[in-house]
Amino acid sequence: MIALDELRDAAHKAFPADKIAPPRDASWQLIAEMGWLMLDLPEEHGGLGLGRDAAAAIHFEMGRVLSTAPLIPALLGMQGVAASDTLADKQAWIERICGGEYVPLHMLAARVEADATGALSGTVSGVFEADMASNVLVGLANRYLLVPCHAAGVTLTERPLWDKTHRVFDMELRGYVPGPALTVAEGDAARALHDAISFSAQLALAADSLGGANAALEMTVEYLKVRKQFDRPLAMFQALKHRCADLKAQIAAAEALMWSLAGSEAASAAALGAMKTLANETYAWVTEEAIQLHGGIGLTEEHQCHLYMKRAALNLQLCGGADHWREATGRAALANFA
Amino acid sequence: MTDQTALDTLRLNLRQWLAANKPQGWREIAQHQAFAESQRAWFLKLVEAGYAVPHWPSEWPGGGRTLAEQKVIYEELAAADCPRLLLSFVSTYHAASTLMECGCAEQKARYLPAILKGETWCQGFSEPGAGSDLAAIRTKAERKGDVYVINGQKVWSTMAQYADKCLLLVRTASDGPKQAGITFLLMDMKAAGVSVRPIKQIQDDEEFAEIFLDDVEVPVSARVGEEGAGWAVAQATLASERGLTLMELTYRMRGALWRLADLIRTNGRENDQGVLRDFGGLVTQIDAACALADQFLVNRIGGIERVGDASLVKNTYSRALRAYSALGVRIGGMGEQYRAPITFGDLNTGNWMADFMNSYAWTIAGGSEEVQRNIIAERMLGMPREPKGWVAP
Repeated sequence: MIALDELRDAAHKAFPADKIAPPRDASWQLIAEMGWLMLDLPEEHGGLGLGRDAAAAIHFEMGRVLSTAPLIPALLGMQGVAASDTLADKQAWIERICGGEYVPLHMLAARVEADATGALSGTVSGVFEADMASNVLVGLANRYLLVPCHAAGVTLTERPLWDKTHRVFDMELRGYVPGPALTVAEGDAARALHDAISFSAQLALAADSLGGANAALEMTVEYLKVRKQFDRPLAMFQALKHRCADLKAQIAAAEALMWSLAGSEAASAAALGAMKTLANETYAWVTEEAIQLHGGIGLTEEHQCHLYMKRAALNLQLCGGADHWREATGRAALANFA
Repeated sequence: MTDQTALDTLRLNLRQWLAANKPQGWREIAQHQAFAESQRAWFLKLVEAGYAVPHWPSEWPGGGRTLAEQKVIYEELAAADCPRLLLSFVSTYHAASTLMECGCAEQKARYLPAILKGETWCQGFSEPGAGSDLAAIRTKAERKGDVYVINGQKVWSTMAQYADKCLLLVRTASDGPKQAGITFLLMDMKAAGVSVRPIKQIQDDEEFAEIFLDDVEVPVSARVGEEGAGWAVAQATLASERGLTLMELTYRMRGALWRLADLIRTNGRENDQGVLRDFGGLVTQIDAACALADQFLVNRIGGIERVGDASLVKNTYSRALRAYSALGVRIGGMGEQYRAPITFGDLNTGNWMADFMNSYAWTIAGGSEEVQRNIIAERMLGMPREPKGWVAP
């Protein structure tokens, strides 16, 4: 518990609440210096060996300030590398990543085919901040491999987002020949890695979302306290207070569920996806209300409200959408009560 | 915090005891008076086994349990699907806490042991004109020698038709601040001039009653605290119940999710994507409500509970309960529109239309959802209160 509070304090100092969406490259450097790239790296590999809840605590704080540095894909990439039994020079990779080299996992689907010679063609979507990446950890059916960003047959194409706090790229492969030394996991190991990474990814996205939801609600409440109409602060109107109270209750419930899973050893894919979906949808609802409650200023680029709304909408699309996870949860529950 | 081994032992012992002693078939048999009798019998059985009043101090049999131990007891009672302790709830929580904190030695000696013998209490707080604004009560008490003479009307008294005694808030002064004129009395429900009329609810249940008071005499010795100090005493009464009840109810709702699964299958909707999504969303909502109730108790045990936390738990539970029953009504279709007998004393019965109507009890009773929202907004988010002093135009 003490370690978590210390982490949070350090995060508050490094990323103060009033600096929303701080510059990416400086943030990345700071994150590397703080040692957060080795947050959940096992101690045997030279990492801090902190649990899932520690990673969630940091992602939560990064979500609060709408961090532009790609900590989530970086930690997922590191998780894959650290778990590998096949990667040549694994310890050297780990040390490079700890030192700030960016090797992310892609956050959207990979549609890649291998030809008869094993050469790969297709698109790996959702590579965050690929302009600063050296390699990408790519998950294919039954295997994970590292793909160098500047190898022959590899091109990166930026796909501009509504969420300007992130840059995202498609990695196009055209007859890329994978290097045998760069295989991270195959077969059963790849399936196990997929499950482990999914756990971390769902938790990270939920934490990012709920950190952001808290910040967006605080920002909205502060605005309502300051803005006066009809000779009184807007925050005095019960109609608006009740909406804020409902947002607060929803955030509290989603957070309770997230922390309960963050502290658990194992959870089903459906339970994690459901938890992430609740966190994402909470974030989406809070930011939707935030813009409405800010009135006209909420519609402008001058105010920062919209940044949270766009992040919330983006997070909903990562690691499985709401409809998918709701249905999966419904099916799982139906089977549980058979 | 209690040692984990001790908690496990408690859980195991209780589980074994419940296997042999829990009431069977209670949903089918008990309505009205029979329900009250079955409640009393179950309560007395729990008293005898030492599980009825874990929250009482240790000098009482079965008392002195930590909050962590109480949580275990409620979890097991819920998991075994025992009836909730409705009839004795006001007695063991509201009456007991009032007497222990504010009662004099004679009152404690007279009333507390009787509770463990099955004497039941109801609460005479709300009035037709005093709901969320409780301090607006008008039931009048006039001092005449050694007695107060009471005239007025109380409403929403849970199971008052079966109660022996009543925690009564009365007005002894009408000048000055309205809170300052309130006095707290202990009234005998058998006294002359007391009449009780059960309130028929929209789902056919009669969980509440009205109490009419017509020149009822209550001895001055049955006053708790000083005359005019009743508001502070009432705060002790109301502070007694938060937390465990909501945790228990939330777990019971999760434990009753099988009813929705059954309904989905019975209606052949198990591959209906829309139904599956809504069911999945509800399961997550209920899991989150459970996690929130758990966290609330952990914070309370650890002494770091914040003002407003209980309101978050209550609104989260009551909304999930509404959603649970509303989904049942929807999936059940026309079948749920045919009137079916209700089960007394349970919120998740599978009689979906009745459950749906009953769910309003939790968004309205015990501090309405709107009052909880005000608490959250004002006490947690720091939003200002509305100005007082409205005058009719």
